[in-house]
Amino acid sequence: MNQITKQKAHIVFTLNGEPVEVAFAPHKTLLEVLREDMGLMGTKHGCELGECGTCAVLVDGRSILSCLMLGLDAEDRAVETIEGMATADGPHPLQETFADTGAAQCGYCTPGFLLVAKELLAHNANPSRDEIREALSGNLCRCTGYIKIYEAVELAAAKMRGEEMTLPKESVYGYK
Amino acid sequence: MGTSNNGHGNGGTNGKELKVVGKPFRKVDARAKCAGQTKFADDIVLPRMLFAKLLRSHEPHAIIKSIDTSKARALPGVLAVITGKDLPIPYGILPVSQDEHTLCLDRVRFIGDPVAAVAAVDEDTAFDAMNLIEVEYEKLNTITSIEEAVMIDEPRIHEYGDGGNVHKKVHLEFGDLDKGFAEADLIREDVFFYEGNTHLPMEQHAAVAHYDPDNKLTLWSSTQTPHYVHRALAKVLEMRPAHIRVIATPNGGGFGGKSDPFNHEVAVCKLAMLTGRPVKITLTREEVFYCHRGRHPVLMKSRIGVKKDGAITALDFQSLLDGGAYGSYGVASTFYTGALQTVTYDVPRYRFRGLRAFTNKPPCGPKRGHGTPQPRFALEIQLDKIADQLNLDPAEMRLKHLVPPNSLTANYLRVGSMGLGKCIEKIVEGSDWKQKYRKLPFGKGVGIACSSYICGAGLPIYWNNMPHSGVQLGLDRQGGVRVQCGSIDIGQGSDSVLAYVVAEVLGIDPFDIRVVTADTDLTPVDLGSYSSRVTLMTGNAALQAAERARELLSIAVAEKLKAPIENLSFADRRVFDVENPEMGVTFAEAVVLAETKFGTIGTVGSYTPPASPGKFKGAGVGPSPAYSYSAAIAEADVDPETGIVTVERIWIGHDIGQSINPMLVMGQVEGGVYMGLGEALMEEMIYRANRNVVHKFPSLLEYKSPTTMEMCDVKTYLIEDADPNGPFGAKEVGQGPLLPVMPAIANAVYDAVGVRVDEVPITPEKVLMALRDKAKGKEGRFGPKDVPAVEWPTPMKVQTPAEGGDGREMPRVAIHS
Amino acid sequence: MNTFEWTNPTSVAEAVKLLRVEQEGAAARDQDGVPQPLGGGQDILTTMKERITRPARLVNLKGIRGLDKIEGNARRGLRIGALVTLTQLEEHSEIRRGFPGLAEAAQSIATPQIRNLGTVGGNLCQRPRCWYFRLEQVVCLKKGGTECYAAVGENKYNAILGGGPSYIVHPSDLAPMLIALGASVVVEGPSGKRTIALDKFFTLPKEGNVRRENVLNNDDIITEIQVPASAMAARSTYLKFKERSSLDFALSSVAAAVEMDAGGTVRQARIVLGGVAPVPWRAPDAEKSLVGKRLDAGTLAEAARLALQGAVPLEKNAYKVPLTQTLVRRALAKVGGATTA
Repeated sequence: MNQITKQKAHIVFTLNGEPVEVAFAPHKTLLEVLREDMGLMGTKHGCELGECGTCAVLVDGRSILSCLMLGLDAEDRAVETIEGMATADGPHPLQETFADTGAAQCGYCTPGFLLVAKELLAHNANPSRDEIREALSGNLCRCTGYIKIYEAVELAAAKMRGEEMTLPKESVYGYK
Repeated sequence: MGTSNNGHGNGGTNGKELKVVGKPFRKVDARAKCAGQTKFADDIVLPRMLFAKLLRSHEPHAIIKSIDTSKARALPGVLAVITGKDLPIPYGILPVSQDEHTLCLDRVRFIGDPVAAVAAVDEDTAFDAMNLIEVEYEKLNTITSIEEAVMIDEPRIHEYGDGGNVHKKVHLEFGDLDKGFAEADLIREDVFFYEGNTHLPMEQHAAVAHYDPDNKLTLWSSTQTPHYVHRALAKVLEMRPAHIRVIATPNGGGFGGKSDPFNHEVAVCKLAMLTGRPVKITLTREEVFYCHRGRHPVLMKSRIGVKKDGAITALDFQSLLDGGAYGSYGVASTFYTGALQTVTYDVPRYRFRGLRAFTNKPPCGPKRGHGTPQPRFALEIQLDKIADQLNLDPAEMRLKHLVPPNSLTANYLRVGSMGLGKCIEKIVEGSDWKQKYRKLPFGKGVGIACSSYICGAGLPIYWNNMPHSGVQLGLDRQGGVRVQCGSIDIGQGSDSVLAYVVAEVLGIDPFDIRVVTADTDLTPVDLGSYSSRVTLMTGNAALQAAERARELLSIAVAEKLKAPIENLSFADRRVFDVENPEMGVTFAEAVVLAETKFGTIGTVGSYTPPASPGKFKGAGVGPSPAYSYSAAIAEADVDPETGIVTVERIWIGHDIGQSINPMLVMGQVEGGVYMGLGEALMEEMIYRANRNVVHKFPSLLEYKSPTTMEMCDVKTYLIEDADPNGPFGAKEVGQGPLLPVMPAIANAVYDAVGVRVDEVPITPEKVLMALRDKAKGKEGRFGPKDVPAVEWPTPMKVQTPAEGGDGREMPRVAIHS
Repeated sequence: MNTFEWTNPTSVAEAVKLLRVEQEGAAARDQDGVPQPLGGGQDILTTMKERITRPARLVNLKGIRGLDKIEGNARRGLRIGALVTLTQLEEHSEIRRGFPGLAEAAQSIATPQIRNLGTVGGNLCQRPRCWYFRLEQVVCLKKGGTECYAAVGENKYNAILGGGPSYIVHPSDLAPMLIALGASVVVEGPSGKRTIALDKFFTLPKEGNVRRENVLNNDDIITEIQVPASAMAARSTYLKFKERSSLDFALSSVAAAVEMDAGGTVRQARIVLGGVAPVPWRAPDAEKSLVGKRLDAGTLAEAARLALQGAVPLEKNAYKVPLTQTLVRRALAKVGGATTA
C-alpha cells in the first residue's frame, strides 16, 4: 500500500444547530461531506452539476445546492439538512403536510423541496400559489407534477399561521 | 392456486362499508420519506465497502481489438478490474433477446456501452483507474436512424433478428381490410413521428453487492424488477438462484427505466465475489442517460377509413421503431405500438405492421405507457383531422363510437369495464368545451384526446403458468400483521396498497401492518413494478391472503363467541357479531384464539391473470385483466410570433374502477399529466451526427424536464366504475393518464393557430415552421412526409370475432384459396 | 474533480498574488492548472467536475471584506461589490425601483438556489455553455484544439452574430443589461486598479484570445461594478427567451433602456442582445433609429430589423433571428409602455 500523508481539510461548522468538526479531502463538495463524512444520507443527489435542486440544503438560512459548494466553504457557517427539520416536538409542519397530502411520491427529491419550502415560509408566511411556484422553480420532481407539493406548502403555511385548513375535496377525490 | 381466483377481485367486502379502501390515508412510508430516512440504494454503506466504476465506450460502433488493464491494476487502491471475458454469458430481459453482456465481449454498440469495471477503495481511485485502462478499437460504420437501419444491412449491429439491422418485423391482419376501406366514406392517410425521450428518475441507479463467507450473494439495487434481476444474476454468474438474494431498495423514481437487468448490477456482484468485500456503484447522471431504455422514437403511418359520422370501418397502422443498440423489451414494445389501438373506439378491421430497428444508440425500452403513447398520439390527431374534415365535434364523434363494455375487440382483447364515455362527458362539461372548441380567439385553443392502458400484462416475461404475484401474510399473537410481497415501491405507493387492502379485510389500521417487500429471500415472487400491474395483481393476491386469514380468525372467534361465522365483522381492530356489536374480541385476541386453535397463523394469496382469448402468435402482448381509460382536454396558448406553446390547463377524466386511495390516484394522474406535458413540449433524446459521432448531451440542463413554471393546472375527474377483475374493482392509474396529454395538446395547437405539428416535442421552431408553411398558402403542417419502404412478411391473418373467428390464425391454405 | 490548494486571502492584493502564474507567456496562463478565483464558485465547480479545468489552487475571495455590498441609488448611481449575490441584486428595493431591468436580469438567472450563492462577478466571468466546450472528451478551439465543432455540428444554441472562429454565446444575463445601463467594472491586478467600461470588457474570439471571453488576466479580479445614474435606467427591461422558465440559459435575450421626453419621443436608447453572440451584442444602429421617434409599431419593427442585421445563422439556429426580433419589439414596447399606452 502507498504511504498515507495528511491531506485532509479540517473545518468546524454548525450542522442542524450543533457545532461539528470534520476532516475530509479538500475537493469534496458539501454534499459529499454531509453524506460521506457526516453520515447524513437525507441529502440526495440527482446530477451533481446544479441542474436539479435535489441536493438543496440551507446555509445560514438560504437554500443552496450542496453539490455546487465546497465543503471548505461551509467553515463557520450554519448548515441545515433534512435531518434537522424535525424537533423534539415532532416533525416540521411541512414534513407532516408533505406526508399527509402525498406530496412525496418516490421521496427522492423531497428533502430538497422541504428545505426550500422552509426557506420560503421563513420569509413569507402566506405565499400565493405563484410565489410558491417561483420559490420551488429550481427543484425538479418527476413524480408529482408539483401540484400536491404546492398544496402541502399551503397547508403547512396555514398551520404555521395557526389557521385551520384542509385540502379541498377536489384535490383528494377529483371534481365531480 | 392457478386460476381459481380469477374474477374474485371485486369481493372482499361482503357489501359492508369500506373503512380503508377509497380513503385518503397517508402512505405507510410517507413520514420516513419526508424525514430523509428512506434508505435508497446509494444510502447503503457497509464496512470495508469498495466503489466501482464502469469504463464506457466513447465509440458508437467498434470492434474491441484489445483491452489493457495493467496500469489500472497497478494503481494503488485498486482491488479488481474485470472485462467482458470475465462474464461471457449473455442476458437480457426477454428470453428472445439475450443480447447483452455485462461488459462488451468483442464489440461496442453505442457510446456508453461498458467495456470494463473497476473496484477500488474509493470513488476517485476507481475513476482514475478507469482512465488508465487502454482500449484499442477498430471503428465500424454506424447505423443512426430507422431509415439507415432499414436500408443498410452491413455492418450488422447484432447477428440475430429479422435480417440486416432489423430486429423484429410483425404483420398481423384482423378481418377483411379491403371490405372495410370499401365501406368508408372518407379515407385518410397520415404520417407521424414521436421522438424518443427518457424516464429521468431523480435517483440515479445505484447498487451494492455483498458476498458473504458462506458464499451467499446479496444485491441491493434500485430496480423495478428484482425477480428478473435475480434470474439474470443466476444465469450470468452461474450460481444457484438459492444462493443469491436480490433486495430492491425503494426506487427514487422508475417510470420503466429500472426494469431491465443492468450491466452495473452484474458487475458489482462479480467484483464483490472477486474481492470478498462489499462493492457499491452509483451511476452518474450521464450514465443514467446511457442506461436509457426509454421511449422508442417511432415513425408511423396510419391509414383509416371512416363513415360520415366518424365510425371507423378499417384501420391500417404501421410503426417503425428506433430500438437503439440492444433488444431490451423491444419485441414487446413493437407489439404494443399496435395492440391497444382497438380498445377505445370500435375498430372492426385492423391491420398492424411493426418493425424495430437496431441503431448505435442507447437501447430503448419501456417508459410509462410502454409503446402505446406513440400510436395513440397518431390515432388521436388523425381523428381530430377527421372530425375537422367531416365537420363533427371531435368529442361527440368519439363518444358515438366507443368500444362497448364486456366485449371482444377485432384483435381479441377482452374489454371489461369501460368508463371512457363518462370520462369524456365529465371533461367536456368541466372545460366548457362547447363554448371553446373553434370559438376561442386566434392564439388560444382547446384539443381533446382519449386513451386506454392495460392493468398488468396478461402474460409474464418468461413463459410459465405460475402466479404473477404472491403474498404471504403473518399474524402475530399481539395483533400485528406482516405482509410479504415481491412487489417494489417506486413511489407509486405499492407498499401502501398492500397495507390498505389487508387492513380493509382484517378491520385493522393500515399503520398496524408491517410491509416487507421486494426481497427475494423474504418475499414471494411478484413480477415487478411494470405494465401497471401492481395494484391489480398484488392487490388481488393480498386480498386472497387476507380473506384466508380472516376465515381462520372467524372460525376461532365464532367458536368463542358462539356466534354464526357469517355474522362476524372485522372493523376498528375488533372482530364482533354484527347483530350484537358489543359481543366481540379485539383483533389481537382473535389472533390468539386462532393461533391456539390452528397453530401459527400465516396465509398466502396469489394472482394469475385470466387466459387471453387470442390464440395466434403475437397474441401475448395486449391482453390484460382490465383496461383503464382516460380522456383529456388541453387548453393552450400559442404565441404566433415565437411559436411558444403554453399549456394553461388540462382537464382529465380517468376511469380508475375503484380508488384504493383517491389521494394517491390524484397524484398519479397529476404526475402522468406532468410527464405527458414534458413529452409534448420539450423532452427529447438528442444525438449528434457531427463527424459521424453519435452522441447526445446527457445532462439535466440539456434534457428539458418541466419545472414548476411550466406545469399546467390540472382538473381531474375520477370515474369509479368497479371492474370485476380488480381488487375492490380497482384499475391502474400509473401510466394511463399520460397517454392522452400529447395528442390533446397537439390538437389544441391546431385549434389555436390552425397548424398541425404531427410530431413531438412540439417545439417553438416547429410551430413557427408550420405557421410559415401556412402563410405560404400550404397545408400548415410540420411533420414527417413518409415512412421508408419495408418488405413486410406475409401477414398472419386472423378472422375477427364479428366474422366468426376463434382467435386462431387462419390456415394459410385458406388465405390463398 | 481534482484536488487543489485552498487559500483564503483577506485582501485583494493578497488574492492577486495568489493568482499569479509563475511561468511566463500567454500559453502558460491558459493551462488548465492555473489558479482560479472563487466567489460563489458554482461555475468553477461545474467545469472542474466536468474536468475541463483543473486549477492547482483556488483563491477564495469571500474572506475579503467589503466586496458584498450594494451602495448608492438611482440618483447617484450604483456601486455593486463583485461578491454581491444575484439574490441580493434581485431583492434590492432601490434596484427594483430605479434599475428595474437589472433586477429582472438577476431574477432570470438559473434557479433561486444558484442565485443565492452566485455572485455578480462570477456571473460576468462564467464560462460558455456550448455542448462541445462542456464535454471532457472534446478538445475544441476554446480548449486549445483546432476546431469549433459547433460551427458545423449541433449549434442550436450557438452564435448568429459575431461568430468565428469560435461560435459560443456568452452566457451572462447581467452583462447585456449592465452594458445597456452603461456600467463599468473595477478590476484589480498586480499593477493596481483600473476601470473598464463593460462594453469594452468582453472580447470576440476573432479579436482576442480565443480561449477567453474577456480582457482579464489570470491575476486580475473584478472587485466592483459601477452603474452610473442615467435617465434611461428607470425605463430599462430585460427579456429572455428560454426553453424553460427556470433552470435554463437564454436562447436569446434583450436588454433595453430608453429615455423619453414627456411627449413620448425617444431621446436616447440602448439595446444589447444576449445569447446570440460570443459577447453581449450591442445594436447601435437600432438604438440610433429610435432617437427622435415615438415607439410605434413601425419604429419597433425597424429597430428589431436593424438589431439583427448582419446575423449569419448556423445550420440549426436560424430560429434565433425572428425570436430575437420579437424580443426587441417586446422589450421596447415594454419600456415605452407608460407613455405609448
